[in-house]
Amino acid sequence: MWTVESVIAHAVVTALLAGLAWGAAAAGWSWIPDGAVSYGWVVPVGYALFGAVETAAVPRVRYRVHRWEVTADVIYTRTGWIGREWQLVPVSRIQTVDHTQGWVERMFKVATLEVQTASHAGSSTIEGLDAEQARAISEELAMRAGELRDDAT
Amino acid sequence: MTGRGDGGGAPGEDRGAGARPEEAPVSGPAAEAAGPVGRGEGAEASGGPAAAPGGGPTGAAAPEDGGAEQGAEDGEWRKLSPMMLVVAPVTYLKNFIIPLILMAFGATQNPWALVSLFAALAGLAVTGVFTWATFRYQVGARRLEIRKGLISRSRRTIPLERIRGVHVTSNLVHRLFGLAVVHIEAAAGGEGSEEGKLDAVGAEEAERLRRLLLHRRAVLRGDASSAGAAADTPPSGEAAGTASAGAASGTPAAEVGRTAAEPGGGGAPAPAGEPEETEYFRMPARWYGFGALSVGYLLTPFVALAAVIGLASQVAGDLMERPGAVAAGERAFLYYRSLAEGSGAPALAAVAAGVLLLVLALMPVFAVAAYAVNHWDFRLTGQDDSLVTRRGLFTRQSVALERRRIRGYELGDSPLERVRSAVRLRAIMTGLGGDSTRAVLLPTGPRARVEEIADETLGGYTGGLVRHPRAALRRRLVRSVLPFALPAAAAAAAGLYWAAVPAALLALVGIPLGADRYRALGHGRDAERISVRWGALRRTQAVLRREAVIGWTWRQTLFQRPSGLAHLTATVGAGSGGYTAVDADLAESVGFAAGVTPEMIRPFLAAPAEPAEPAGTSPEKQEPPE
Repeated sequence: MWTVESVIAHAVVTALLAGLAWGAAAAGWSWIPDGAVSYGWVVPVGYALFGAVETAAVPRVRYRVHRWEVTADVIYTRTGWIGREWQLVPVSRIQTVDHTQGWVERMFKVATLEVQTASHAGSSTIEGLDAEQARAISEELAMRAGELRDDAT
Repeated sequence: MTGRGDGGGAPGEDRGAGARPEEAPVSGPAAEAAGPVGRGEGAEASGGPAAAPGGGPTGAAAPEDGGAEQGAEDGEWRKLSPMMLVVAPVTYLKNFIIPLILMAFGATQNPWALVSLFAALAGLAVTGVFTWATFRYQVGARRLEIRKGLISRSRRTIPLERIRGVHVTSNLVHRLFGLAVVHIEAAAGGEGSEEGKLDAVGAEEAERLRRLLLHRRAVLRGDASSAGAAADTPPSGEAAGTASAGAASGTPAAEVGRTAAEPGGGGAPAPAGEPEETEYFRMPARWYGFGALSVGYLLTPFVALAAVIGLASQVAGDLMERPGAVAAGERAFLYYRSLAEGSGAPALAAVAAGVLLLVLALMPVFAVAAYAVNHWDFRLTGQDDSLVTRRGLFTRQSVALERRRIRGYELGDSPLERVRSAVRLRAIMTGLGGDSTRAVLLPTGPRARVEEIADETLGGYTGGLVRHPRAALRRRLVRSVLPFALPAAAAAAAGLYWAAVPAALLALVGIPLGADRYRALGHGRDAERISVRWGALRRTQAVLRREAVIGWTWRQTLFQRPSGLAHLTATVGAGSGGYTAVDADLAESVGFAAGVTPEMIRPFLAAPAEPAEPAGTSPEKQEPPE
């Protein structure tokens, strides 16, 4: 899914750049140096190459480094490739559980789960879950969090 | 103990308040006016019999002594103090004093301005009368009800359990008339929302309300034991005399209430039967001197100066519009020119320098004065389940912080204060933002004493702080030096020495700064609390209760990876939301977190090589599908 999102994003940017280069060439403004106009195609093509490489590599790495785990008490997430982040959120402290699905996500039947606690610093997101599973987890978490009568702060 | 306290305390206080001449006639008609509505409400609220005391507030206190629920039903509808009718226009007028003075000097070129001002005042008085006549509030056993409005009526009910804080403020005008404003905060709504505001009631009434609300809340929440314990502890300070003697000898609560409710505003001693207060701290005179160490207060003379200059220019501008002023101005300017051109130039410079020096010399004086005005007679007392701070010379503030919501505290100091080893104390509370001035528990004072009080009120921290690894020092230095060293090198390479020199100087300054930031870093724990310290120049040490930690986050950037450092954030549902141990050693910090909340960390400690990672054997572990 990340591959598709990446493809879409890069395609849009490439198209924009190509449009810009074409526009610059077509308008033929005098203040644009000749060299820039004649080599204008280099930018979108270069970007497209970069986009292709990134599309091939980044989602795989992202997929590899994203891990999550729900144990009896704690939700653990690990994200990040260059800068890494480990996060632990105890189930008993959960305030809300959000379950969202964008249109691309719906195409691939996956969903994003967001868990929020009383502190803005302690909210955790799990992307790219299987939709069915995400629903089951969100319901279970909400139920378990609701069992506590404390205000969880 | 508590039951008797409720039953006896409230009516006793009623009678005490009745001694104030203006209240007695007021509450009579008010109760009658509210009669039909009030009765319906009362029945709905408590289901019949309990509504009876509403009709007769002076009804026998003795039979109610038995049941806390029944006795606690204080069905009387009360009104704001009628003095508010005087105070509101005066407060309003305060904003117009300067225009009024200008008008008086300006010989009222515009009579309409004056007329409109008086019309506004008259309108304010009329609306004030309406507000006063229609506004009433009631403290029930379970909730506080506020009603207002003549045409569009509004009624607000706040369940007592939900009250987060009650604080009382009174500015100079209020205090002249013996009034106070009661703010009631509840958990609902957005940031800093105010659920109820009683503007204004008598000072004694405000104090009574604060005690009553906090006490009933405590009882409702079922910490009757703590409330009882608080009532049993011998009170210190001025309350000791009358109140504890009364409680000990079993004098009827009402009588003690009357003795205690002597007119005297601010520090009215606790009426017996209601919980006693324990005084933890009262500002000694020496502490006002610490105001001179606060940068904010040191700058106050400049702010005041700017205000004066602004006002002067405004006045001058107004004067200039009058005929003859221009000529006078020109003459003054010519005189100034002659002085400046002649031998007067050094004299002028000397005058300017003198003024500047004077301001600089007066800075600490002004700072101490402003500080003293803000923190005058700072007191920290404990009542039931709350800590109460009171401060201020002109505007007196009283803030109640609920102990249950206090997650820890922060000790902060600036470099100036560190020289005198002075710190200030703030509470870390849920429901208050990170920077709220209301969370201030103690003003700046000597560290030993502040820690002693923190220990007494909230429990001290005895564990030491673990220094962060040397690699953290390197990172701090790089952070503080590099942003200036790189441009300096670039500028020098480009031959722009005018830019390179200041950048190089800044980079040099960065070395001690970075070292200072490193020295500030530390974290540690003891049996019940954890502590994190950080800060550039202004150092803050946060001490949190263990159970306040609601999650952990480690963050590691690419640059931190080789040296095995990571930021560890303990997330907390209070204060600023998270407290970060910057550049802690990764392995050590995992051990630290595991020590604080073993049940949270242990399941993930299978692989010692990379401790924060699970071993991958857990059955529930999932790979996100692509």
